[in-house]
Amino acid sequence: MAMRVFKSVIFLTLLQLGFWVSAEPVVVVNARSAVPKLSRDEVINIFLGRYRQLPTGETALPIDQPEGSALRSEFYRKLVNKEPNEINAYWARLIFSGKTAPPKEASSPAEVVSSLLAHPGAIAYLERSQLDARFKVVLEFAP
Amino acid sequence: MSSTAQPPAALWRMHGLLLRSILVVILASVVAGLAAVAYAAYSTSARAHKASRIHLNELLDTVESTLKVACFAKDETLAGELATGLLSNSDVLAVTISSEQTVLANRQRHTALAPESVAARMQLRRVIYSPFNPDKEVGHIVLVPDPQGINARIAEEVRLAALQLTWQLAMVAFAVAAIMLVFIVRPIKAISDRLHSMDPTVGERLPIPRRHAHTEIGQLVRDINQLSDRLVDTLAQEHELLRQRDIDEKKYHAIFDNAESGIFIVDSKGSVSSGDPAFSRLFDIVNSPAEGASASLHLGLLPIAAPDQATDLIATALRQNSSVAQDILIRLQAGQPRWVNIVLSPIGDNLLQGVVHDVTHLKESEASARRLVVTDTLTGQANRSGLLEYLQAQVQAFADSQIDGFALLLVNLDEFKRINEGMGLPAGDEILKTTTTRLASCIKVGDLVARLSADTFGLVLNGITQGDVAEQVAGRVLQAIRQTYFAESVPIQLKASVGITLFPNDGRDVPILLRQAELAMGSAKSGGGNSCVFFDPVLAESAERRRQLETDMRSALRNQEMVLFYQPVVDLQTHRLAGAEALIRWRHPARGLVGPDNFVALAEQTGLIVDIGLFVLDAACRQLRDWRQAGLDYTLSFNVSGRQIPDGLPPAKLREMIHHYGIDPAKLALEITEGVMLQDIDKSLAWLQAVHALGLRIHLDDFGTGYSSLSYLKRFPIDTLKIDQSFVKDMQGTGNERTLVGAILAMASSLGLEVVAEGVELPSHRQALRAMGCHYAQGFLFSRPVPAEQFASVAAQLALMLEVVAAEATVERMLG
Repeated sequence: MAMRVFKSVIFLTLLQLGFWVSAEPVVVVNARSAVPKLSRDEVINIFLGRYRQLPTGETALPIDQPEGSALRSEFYRKLVNKEPNEINAYWARLIFSGKTAPPKEASSPAEVVSSLLAHPGAIAYLERSQLDARFKVVLEFAP
Repeated sequence: MSSTAQPPAALWRMHGLLLRSILVVILASVVAGLAAVAYAAYSTSARAHKASRIHLNELLDTVESTLKVACFAKDETLAGELATGLLSNSDVLAVTISSEQTVLANRQRHTALAPESVAARMQLRRVIYSPFNPDKEVGHIVLVPDPQGINARIAEEVRLAALQLTWQLAMVAFAVAAIMLVFIVRPIKAISDRLHSMDPTVGERLPIPRRHAHTEIGQLVRDINQLSDRLVDTLAQEHELLRQRDIDEKKYHAIFDNAESGIFIVDSKGSVSSGDPAFSRLFDIVNSPAEGASASLHLGLLPIAAPDQATDLIATALRQNSSVAQDILIRLQAGQPRWVNIVLSPIGDNLLQGVVHDVTHLKESEASARRLVVTDTLTGQANRSGLLEYLQAQVQAFADSQIDGFALLLVNLDEFKRINEGMGLPAGDEILKTTTTRLASCIKVGDLVARLSADTFGLVLNGITQGDVAEQVAGRVLQAIRQTYFAESVPIQLKASVGITLFPNDGRDVPILLRQAELAMGSAKSGGGNSCVFFDPVLAESAERRRQLETDMRSALRNQEMVLFYQPVVDLQTHRLAGAEALIRWRHPARGLVGPDNFVALAEQTGLIVDIGLFVLDAACRQLRDWRQAGLDYTLSFNVSGRQIPDGLPPAKLREMIHHYGIDPAKLALEITEGVMLQDIDKSLAWLQAVHALGLRIHLDDFGTGYSSLSYLKRFPIDTLKIDQSFVKDMQGTGNERTLVGAILAMASSLGLEVVAEGVELPSHRQALRAMGCHYAQGFLFSRPVPAEQFASVAAQLALMLEVVAAEATVERMLG
């Protein structure tokens, strides 16, 4: 009994710690997608509106986590070393010309997962803990 | 000093300093201005371009982040907006924004200027990096600046610079002109004006312009003034030189024309080519060859006594190639013959320059001087030199067998000194002249009369070699001189002594002959005069002896061969030794002891007696001192010759010796003879009184043999009489002599004089003298003269003897 209690405590503690310390975003696509691995630059180009094409030739559909999400902040920090407000300023200039648009913003993390599963060209970033067989990791950030 | 060209008065002249300097200043200003403007343009342009570049860069900086986004996103719209925005800046002509492959935007201003025409270096190109990766290029932007704007700015700036420079340069030029005018041009003009009116020779000088005392202008003025001084000085010197040259020229002309010396040129053949007036005058040439150049005059034609002399002289001068001179006798037609001195100097080309002058006066004075040397000025006859010269000539003539011989007579007037002293020199001279005439009348024509010294004449009788003939002439001479002379109407009788020597019998040498004649004459004179004596070899012998004696005497004094002997003087009344008489002796190295009789007479003749007398004085004083130091109270007397009075033994010397030896003068006595008083009475008396005043005693020696004048005894300060030994020796019995001694003693007693009897040899003398009251005595009875070192022992013997005598006397008295 005591042993269980101890294990639970550790688990919870670890959980807490993991939640606190770092969201660990990984870039994923639908597991069925033919897209192999992607480079960081390819991910940047897709998410920051430069190209919207996957190497497979499919139109890329980048999906952002909801506004204010820690994962989202962590993703951009890891990707281009920018804070969310900087990313917003970037987009603000482009939105003015109307030529390109920012990634589609999911209203919740669940919607990210559903959008990934729903669109073949979808590309998003998830918490590593969220990974499962439905998704294929195309880019992992170095810890 | 007036200038011919008047300078333009204006300051502004075409080539004036002022205009020139202003032109130079302007030119320099323009060049400097252009350079400055060019530099301003260049630097302004560079600055403008740099400023434009900075401006554009700043512009780019403001839009760079948006540009990054646009290029990253390849957003043409956004790029276009940016380009339009940039173009709104007036400096920008065109903007091109490109991504990696495509041009996103290309905008340009609508002007005439094509962007391509703008130099590529002016374009501004900037690479645009990804906003997410600063290393990744995502495009670039090119800005083309608008050169028009820049150029306009440059132009404006250059214009402003040019304007400013123009102003400044204008001001500088004006200032330079003003300074030139005030500080340089005007002072120089003033100096120049003053120089034109200035006359430096009257001392005018430039004033230093005001405030220019220490400037270069002032220095220039000083330099000009110094130059003026030097020029004026030089001018004055030049004037002086010219004047001097003028004077010199005139002087030389005058010298040449008025020269006493004749100057001429003659060639080797004797032709005179030119000559000065003096030359013509000297040779009495009427047509001067100097005047008529064609008329050639030959030296041989001149009135030269021996014409060959001139031509010989020319030949000599040419041969030796040096100056030669000769005195030549010329005989002019009128007047006396004259002597001229001709100097000929070769001057090359076989020509000779001659200088000739009259030396007649010189010759005459030479001859006169020669005559004077051998002539007696008083009588006009030959003097001693003349006689010697004549005798030499005669001796030579004999050697040449021209004559047989001659007799030489020397005539001396006896007692002539008395005439000169008694009647004066003019009377003496008259008598000498008369004598000359009388002597001349005694000889033949061709014989010679000469005056050798004051009263000695010489006669040379030519052809007379026989004594009897010479003696006849001598007799005539004596006769002639015995004739009565009249000097100032006073009749005077004179006699002469004549010495005769015969040539060649008596001697063949002139000095010897003369000496022989003198000896013979001296012999005649010592024989009493008024006689003639032939030279005799015996005379020469005795003269030689005397000469030898004299020499010996001199060395005797030097070698201390003279000594004093002392003969005791005894006091007859007290029977004691009273003192001594010092007597001179000569210890001759060869002849032994020599008495005074053998040399004092000669010493008196030669004057050596003075030196001997001084020696005697010294020795006597020393002896007195020695006696005094030995406690002996002796008196000492010594003999003084008449020749020593008054100058040979001056009273001052006596006093000095007395002091020197510290003796009592009363103990020293000087013995004199009556002869002393017969000489110069006044001098002798003065000397005696001076000596007596020193405290010295005076003894009258040899009393009774001479005049024995009673008046002298009274007049002269005599202390003691010394009765001559002849009276004492003859004093026998009651005879005459004894009476004489008695008379002398009586007289001395009455005159208060003491008496010393000399020559006491016999006891009877002593007794008689003592009986007659004679005080002192000396003689062989007591002692002969002895050297000083023996005197003490003699004195001791005398003391014994006198004791005996005294004892006898006492007995006599007691018996008597």
